[in-house]
Amino acid sequence: MQNAIELAGVTKRFGKKTAVDGLDLAVPTGAIYGFIGPNGSGKTTTLRMILRIIQPDSGQVAVLGKLRGRTADDQLGYLPEERGMYKRMKARELLIYFSRLKGRYDAAKNVDQWLEKLGAAEWANMKIETLSKGMAQKIQFISAIVTMPKLVILDEPFSGLDPVNMEVLRDAVLELRENGTTVIFSTHDMDMAQQMCDTIFMVFQGKKVLDGTLSEIQATYPANRVRVILSDTRQEFPSIDGIENLTQTRNSFEFKLENIEEKQRILQQLAARVSLDQFEVIRPTLHEIFVRIARPENARAESLQDS
Amino acid sequence: MRKIFTIAGREYRAMVATKAFLLSITMMPVLMLGGLFTTQWLNKAGGIKERKIVVWDGTGELFQQLRTSSIAFNAQIEVAMENSNNDGIIEEQTGGLEQFEKYLLERAPVSEITNEYRSEISEKITKGEVYAYLEIPADIIVEELKLNEATSLQNIKDAIPAAIFRSQDSALSQAKQWLQVTLSKLIKDKRLAASGVDRKLVEKAEIPIQVKGMGLFALDKDGNAKEEDEGNVLAALFMPFGVMMLMFMVIFLAAQPCLESVLEEKSQKISEVLLGCANPFQLMVGKLIGVVGGSLTVFSIYILGIIWFARSQQIEIPIQIIPWFVVFQILGVFFYGALFMAVGASVSQLKEAQSMLLPIWMLMMSPMFVWLIIVRDPNGAMATGMSLFPPATPTSLMLRMATGQAIPIWQPIVGLIMMVACTLFVVHIAGRIFRVGILWQGKTPSIREVFKWSLSSN
Repeated sequence: MQNAIELAGVTKRFGKKTAVDGLDLAVPTGAIYGFIGPNGSGKTTTLRMILRIIQPDSGQVAVLGKLRGRTADDQLGYLPEERGMYKRMKARELLIYFSRLKGRYDAAKNVDQWLEKLGAAEWANMKIETLSKGMAQKIQFISAIVTMPKLVILDEPFSGLDPVNMEVLRDAVLELRENGTTVIFSTHDMDMAQQMCDTIFMVFQGKKVLDGTLSEIQATYPANRVRVILSDTRQEFPSIDGIENLTQTRNSFEFKLENIEEKQRILQQLAARVSLDQFEVIRPTLHEIFVRIARPENARAESLQDS
Repeated sequence: MRKIFTIAGREYRAMVATKAFLLSITMMPVLMLGGLFTTQWLNKAGGIKERKIVVWDGTGELFQQLRTSSIAFNAQIEVAMENSNNDGIIEEQTGGLEQFEKYLLERAPVSEITNEYRSEISEKITKGEVYAYLEIPADIIVEELKLNEATSLQNIKDAIPAAIFRSQDSALSQAKQWLQVTLSKLIKDKRLAASGVDRKLVEKAEIPIQVKGMGLFALDKDGNAKEEDEGNVLAALFMPFGVMMLMFMVIFLAAQPCLESVLEEKSQKISEVLLGCANPFQLMVGKLIGVVGGSLTVFSIYILGIIWFARSQQIEIPIQIIPWFVVFQILGVFFYGALFMAVGASVSQLKEAQSMLLPIWMLMMSPMFVWLIIVRDPNGAMATGMSLFPPATPTSLMLRMATGQAIPIWQPIVGLIMMVACTLFVVHIAGRIFRVGILWQGKTPSIREVFKWSLSSN
């Protein structure tokens, strides 16, 4: 199947700063594609190029099979990170207006269905300025998807939501995928990305640093960490050679192996001295990978290279 | 295209369907016309002010006469206040009635004037015990008019010393005017009496001749004189002024929301959502069409009101200029709307917009600074120049057309072509600024940066 988005060698500079540097990306149709990266790494610039808000200096941006355009595709829904709605418009009126801007002039029924589905029907005729933050966020979410786009870009869709509303919106996103919509999902919440995304893509300083499924990404990192759960919380963790960076959360301990080959020896030594519930060799989490890549010293090294 | 009209529709509703809009279209004419009458009304509402004036009279004979004149004047003022009609008697004596004032004159209690006395009375003026102090020099009366001598009138005038008037507002004081007129008259009478000329005779000789301004003369089909009404000074001045103000108002009422809506979209972060749907060009043109629609609504409301009012008062208004008015109004709204939008996109708060708006305001108001020159000579160099200077074209051309004088037909046409070209240019440049500006966050860009944006094509 055709890819929903294809970027080839895309570069964008703002003055002397290179915001996006030779980026290649292929988002398959129907996937939930996680888009991660620290602030200022070129995420928003990339999204804006996909939306045709800005044009790349070089390289190609193909969206839903189209290579160029000065306006975002009408089949593309967008929820920007910074939420914005006309305060003095009523929720339903605003949603219908945004649908019309997306070229859908018969969206009233869809608007009502979505308002109903997200439990916002009673707010339909209230002005945006009177809505609570969570409610306004739902309205904005509806505005991005109400025209049933083929491709949706959601930038931090769940930030600031309470767990109940987060659940509601997460289900809505999953439902979109079931209906064949491609979802690009940009977030700082690594757990959420890990949970929801089929594929994860990370940019750092304008370059692609990760692209693949979670297990593919994790496979590139050595399995040199161990999680141990002790049966008895009162036990002290014995001191053993060959481990470093020991951390403790209640009766669960994590450490890094100095040498992966020694995991058998360490298990035996531990088992001999304390009673174990669990001993698991783990790969780094997405969070750890993210932090490892985007550490300030890396940023400095990169920028030194740049200059 | 449909998106543009969707945007225009929202913009139109946002402009027209607000309380502020209704308030401004009702208040604007009230404020403008009101300005003409309020000063007078406020003066009347303030009642009659009593001005105590201390007079040191070096001649020894003028004070008594001056006081008699002031008593007569005060009586006239009271009548005028009651009837709110003074038949110009008071204006004649004060050079224009600004305020209702009575003058209470008091003789200075010293025989010789000294600097000590001057400073003493000045202090009283500062304290508010006395309004003003008048010093009439002894040799102010030159009774022997040496007209037969070879000296010119100017030399005689220079030789007569001035009376000195001191008050806190001496430059603008109405009392000073009254004293000047009244003293002149008293002294004139004295001179006439000294020369043995009958005062009444001179007054009769001085009765002025009128030159009456009339409209143009034409013969109708039957050869009868079809004379136009007496040319009304008020109508000749205020009709063009009103037309100019109307143009200014419809442009202003439309341009202001452009600024506000772009600022709202920027500060409420709506721009990015909108740009996910439409491109900056569509956004800007949609907004402009919306406010043009709004301005035409304002115009329709006003013009219907004006026609109704004119009919009921039997005032003739220059209906034939309405099509030109509408065309130039649309161009004017596009022109200034685009500029206001570019400013809105360049700043993040209304107060930052002020400095950038100043030059635009100057352009917009430029015909108002010279409107009287244009009305007096609607085909003069100033008038022609202003109407061919695109930012001023709509207002100044309408001003000229409303005078009723024939304007060479090439001028509105050339003005129109230049205005269209200039508007396209401004919309284009403003579009570039708008495109960069609406996504601009953080510090306000400098004029230089904004200028750079206007040159960038991507």
